[in-house]
Amino acid sequence: MFRLALQSLRHRTGGFMASFIALFLGATIVMTFASMLDTSGGSSVTSADRDTLVIMANVVGGFALVIVIFAATSTLTLSVRQRGAEMAVLKHVGATPAQIGRMIVGETTIVALAGSLLAILPAMLGGWLLLEALASTGQVSATVPYRFGPIALGLGLGINLVSATVAAALTARSTTRKRASESSAAAMIETPGTGKKRVIAAVVLLAVGIGLGVVTATVSREEGYESMQTAGQASIWASIGFALLAQVLLRAIITVLGHPLAQMTGASSYLALLNLRQRSHQMASIAMPIILFTGLATGTLYMQDIENSVTSVEGVAKSTIQKNIETLNYVFVGMIVLFAAIMLINTLVAATTYRSREFGQQRLAGSTPPQMLSMVVVESIVLAVTGVLFGSIASLVSVVPFSIARTGSPVPDSPAGIYLGIVAVAVIITIVPTPTTTRRVIRTSAVEAVAA
Amino acid sequence: MFRRHSGNPARAADALRLVSVSKVYGDGANAVTALDDVTLTLPAGSFTAVMGPSGSGKSTLLHCAAGLDQPTTGQVFIDDKEMTGDEAALTRFRRQRIGFVFQQFNLLPALTVLQNVTLPLKLSGRKLDHTHIRIVLEQVGLSDRLEHRPAELSGGEQQRVTIARALVTNPSMIFADEPTGALDTRNARSILTLLQEAVRDFGQTVVMVTHDPVAASHACSVLFLADGKFVGRLDNPTAEAVAERLTHLGDDIARQPVALGA
Repeated sequence: MFRLALQSLRHRTGGFMASFIALFLGATIVMTFASMLDTSGGSSVTSADRDTLVIMANVVGGFALVIVIFAATSTLTLSVRQRGAEMAVLKHVGATPAQIGRMIVGETTIVALAGSLLAILPAMLGGWLLLEALASTGQVSATVPYRFGPIALGLGLGINLVSATVAAALTARSTTRKRASESSAAAMIETPGTGKKRVIAAVVLLAVGIGLGVVTATVSREEGYESMQTAGQASIWASIGFALLAQVLLRAIITVLGHPLAQMTGASSYLALLNLRQRSHQMASIAMPIILFTGLATGTLYMQDIENSVTSVEGVAKSTIQKNIETLNYVFVGMIVLFAAIMLINTLVAATTYRSREFGQQRLAGSTPPQMLSMVVVESIVLAVTGVLFGSIASLVSVVPFSIARTGSPVPDSPAGIYLGIVAVAVIITIVPTPTTTRRVIRTSAVEAVAA
Repeated sequence: MFRRHSGNPARAADALRLVSVSKVYGDGANAVTALDDVTLTLPAGSFTAVMGPSGSGKSTLLHCAAGLDQPTTGQVFIDDKEMTGDEAALTRFRRQRIGFVFQQFNLLPALTVLQNVTLPLKLSGRKLDHTHIRIVLEQVGLSDRLEHRPAELSGGEQQRVTIARALVTNPSMIFADEPTGALDTRNARSILTLLQEAVRDFGQTVVMVTHDPVAASHACSVLFLADGKFVGRLDNPTAEAVAERLTHLGDDIARQPVALGA
């Protein structure tokens, strides 16, 4: 099975590209920050500098682990799902589920190893730049020598291989559990609704988010910048809560936007709305990363902006810890943007490619290429609106309480440009990939697409 | 039965005309000629079956005649209008003048029966004539299935939906590609009867590609295709006569090189 894995990788390098990019960037980030641990081990490093370096490495490393597993699973699931026919052939010629599982894990391990090794050089450079940035803002002393050593390498390779293997095992389990004929038949029938457990989990998370917001605005008022810790979590939990409810929220948006949209562009919107409604389950998986991205980026960046203006008004210099938090916030947002973009683009491209047969049927029924394109654009717009709207609401449970705690006013005196920038990024990464992919997909003749 | 749609222009006497149509796949040494200089005229209101062994060019003929594929050379006229242009133009042409019935139905899984049937009208921005739609749906026997989705229907029912979808635009031509290939004999017979009714009662023109002599015997005439050329024709066919001719089609071709060599 290992040789089969290697051959399959060589044969379809493109299919593994998204997983490779996710794992490569993951390894780069992990090693960049893990090299701070190597650096902190230097003999001339003071204990204060050591603390700063260790906090940086641990916080970012923890986030990276979660995000890399998440991104690797989502990219892998799609690349395996697209190979449904290949998996079916393997089953027919007698491959056991365990053998198919080993093949998937084997492929992923090779991809993860390649991604990690290629990440070493960029991570060395990134770590050096990070240390320079910390030194230039006075968070560590300028004399600390940069070291990239066994901890960075070990953690980078370790975290990447572990998360890739976990992701591959999860993917393999869901792939091998159902038969090929079942999976294609299942895709035809109406999508499942949102389960009870999911709704309960979402409500609990939203309650936690709101609760933390209330605590920030009341109890934590006297804590100064430390209330950021409570406030920051509020939008994280609320965003995850909304993300879990994505399907319900999407349906609500369709109900509200449905009528005016159907009036506007005729047949294309009519089909887009039918698709969204009928496949709200799959479509919701696209809205999810948009909610998380908008919620976390907006919440974090506005809290940091409020914090910055408070310290500048007070005329006090930021403490090292405040500067650390600032750096971490920006790194955190950077990571969210990067991985949300990878996941979203990968999901959209894969989901669109997967619809090639459906697109063929629609063209045979009389859809012109422009009608196909405007249909997918309308779908993407509804998804972007849903994601941005609920992500923005989630961010409010951080921003408003933190603003109350730090300035006394619920409305921060921050520029709207930050928000507009976040929305622009969300809209672009949601709307651009689909028509581009659709154009490529419908280049094959409709008859061939239907026969495939 | 079927009501004439007042919106469509008057029909030409010839529903389909192929003029020296050839289709070559690949190039150089790998070139395969699927259609070899085929010329054909079918009058409006005819029901023609096209038969031939695998690889004879049946599907290519249907795809080229129906504007799903571009011929390498030659012209295709439907209702005396030449079929040319890019995909958008071809699609608009097909939407207005051609109905399809496929072996694999090709209904949209997300749409209900009614939505599938009315989709071509919506795509071309035409007003829905609800009386006409109701009559067509009654004719194919689907009036009580309107809110079902394709996955909830039997194969025979799905094929009735595609026939309703083909008829609802009142096209000049209906192309059927192995319409009974995925059906049992009872459902196959009722689908073929529906196609006959479309021709007899409504003046539709139907071209059906099939490999089943029984299906072909429902047509007014059968054209035999081999190696990309028409090699025979049978009017008022019976299943036995079609099967007989089909069996000896291979003999004729096999004899040719011998005859040439002698």
